[in-house]
Amino acid sequence: MEGSRSLFLPVILGTTRQGRMSLHVSHLLTQEVAKQNGVETELIDIAAVSLPTGDAGEAIKEAGFSGKMNRADGLVIVAPEYNHGYSGLLKHVLDSCLKEYIHKAVGIVGVSAGPFGGTRVIQNLLPVMREIGLVTIFWDVNFSSVQKVFAEDGKLLDESYIRRIDKFLKELIWMAKTLRQGREQISLD
Amino acid sequence: MANTDKMICSRCKVEMNHHCDKIVYNVDAHDAGKTDPSLGGIIEEFHTCPKCGSGASRHA
Repeated sequence: MEGSRSLFLPVILGTTRQGRMSLHVSHLLTQEVAKQNGVETELIDIAAVSLPTGDAGEAIKEAGFSGKMNRADGLVIVAPEYNHGYSGLLKHVLDSCLKEYIHKAVGIVGVSAGPFGGTRVIQNLLPVMREIGLVTIFWDVNFSSVQKVFAEDGKLLDESYIRRIDKFLKELIWMAKTLRQGREQISLD
Repeated sequence: MANTDKMICSRCKVEMNHHCDKIVYNVDAHDAGKTDPSLGGIIEEFHTCPKCGSGASRHA
């Protein structure tokens, strides 16, 4: 019974900027995750997570986001690189939960308008992931010059990304399955 | 003193698996008296239901 439960691997779109190209990336990732056997997904747009800015952390936990993180076995985070870092609102949303993330897998997709494909935002996110209890995989997906990768309507122009995403997702699914087994069956005591 | 009682899943009513302890430093005034002096923070236990996969936590 337990072994037959689908994995839930939502995709978090980590920016609220108008005109964000990461929206196309997130749609593509969500579509590719949905193709995987035994996996459910949905796109979580942080622009739709309603959190106040007058406080921070678990004190402002939002029930809908928390419920989805609790259900999740792993996460895909789509993180555009802004001034070499991640969006402040992505951190604000992530910080609103803790127990929901513990011993769950995460894969990071970096996005940039320049040539480095969000490598710096990924590096900056790694210690944050570690501290909130998520377990990072060693595959990333890097969208360089993202404005050239998608047409205006969101159509993918470079099919080589499909293979990279597939390798990334295979590793994420393996890690998510392994960590689910650990969370549910392997005791610390 | 560690809490040895098993957590029970609120949905499935089965014993949950204790799979993680984490030290939490950002304590507020309400939690100040619970700080472990040798560790400098509060130990939070994390448990997962083997039936539905739901997670829960509590102070150790």
